[in-house]
Amino acid sequence: MPQPDTDANDRLLLQRMSAGDRAALSVMYRAYHGRLARFLSRLTRRADIIEEVINDCFWIVWQKAATFQGESRVSTWIMGIAYRCGLKSLRQHGSEPVDEDSVPEDRLPSHDPGDDRELRDWLGRGMDRLSADQRLVVELVYGIGHSLDDVAAIMQCPVGTVKARLFHARVKLRNVLPGLAGEDAPAPKEKLP
Amino acid sequence: MTRPTPAGRDCARAWEAMPWVIQATASHDQQAWLETHLATCDDCRMAFEQQRQLARAVRLPHDVPLDPEQGLQRLFARLDVDDPQKAEPAPRQASNGWLLRSLAAAVVLQAVGLGALGLKLWSSPDAPTAPASYRTLSNDAPAAAHGAIHVVPDKTLDMQAWNAVLQAQHLRVVDGPNGVGAYTVVAADASVTPKQAAERLRGTRGIRFAEPVAGAP
Repeated sequence: MPQPDTDANDRLLLQRMSAGDRAALSVMYRAYHGRLARFLSRLTRRADIIEEVINDCFWIVWQKAATFQGESRVSTWIMGIAYRCGLKSLRQHGSEPVDEDSVPEDRLPSHDPGDDRELRDWLGRGMDRLSADQRLVVELVYGIGHSLDDVAAIMQCPVGTVKARLFHARVKLRNVLPGLAGEDAPAPKEKLP
Repeated sequence: MTRPTPAGRDCARAWEAMPWVIQATASHDQQAWLETHLATCDDCRMAFEQQRQLARAVRLPHDVPLDPEQGLQRLFARLDVDDPQKAEPAPRQASNGWLLRSLAAAVVLQAVGLGALGLKLWSSPDAPTAPASYRTLSNDAPAAAHGAIHVVPDKTLDMQAWNAVLQAQHLRVVDGPNGVGAYTVVAADASVTPKQAAERLRGTRGIRFAEPVAGAP
């Protein structure tokens, strides 16, 4: 989960950015790029759109750095901006994910260990069965480590809505995902124990 | 989708706790309770293992081909062209707003003043026809007073003697002296005609000229 000292550092970076410090913007951009790219990849597989949304997000962060009031952690604030930019971009570009075959070969990751690839494929099969909002909730809770309150703030919806999305996502994943090859996992059951 | 039915209250509680135990944000008591439950419940143990596997998979680095440095350079290029921090500052807008409000207030004030002036003129019907209190050189000379007489005293007649003549014959100066030293006088006694008053003046010592104003009765 996001650490308090990380948030204090983020606030200092925001303060510097509000004074026009582009070096601070560079630090924050590099720090958030990975998690934003992964978060947005739950919405679309198109690299060009993901980069566009990340830059839209940081353009707004740069613009509003001086007005950040601190009601939430900086990371929650930034993820919320990215979420809204992502939805807006998908409305403009369409939400159809790009086919993997359309990605140039030289832009694909060159190193993907076999275990990771198997785990990634296993996750992909499950995520394909979820709605976009369910995928994002799974990413925010299991991937980034946000609380229900944080996710509600990011997605600007009631906590109850987040709970429902998470619950349904977990149930779907539990029912459709098989155990990984080689693992001694029993076949999924259709009800909770 | 098949909606799971919690087999028991403990299993439902375990289901609720799993994400936060995996996040390491659950309380120590909550984590200890879940471990105890998992030791006795095969189904929950299997579900928990799948949840941990899910977390491991979700936390893998993204596989989207993106270069953060290229993205950052594109962002800087964009800011070079369109930097929101260098856009029109808010105080400038406030100043423009103040100027507009001031101009609007001046217009309203002017309208109120014109309205009050119009009301005053409207409520005084005689005012437009009242004669001006001044006369220009191009205007005709004012009409002489009723029963007026032009009188030219002799240069030897001093002011005291002139006043004595006026008092004795009940005359009042209404104009003059003009450029030739002539006064215009009227009789205080309405029963005396200008002609009678003029004759009496002509018979007085020190009066060089006395004649009723033309048109006077």
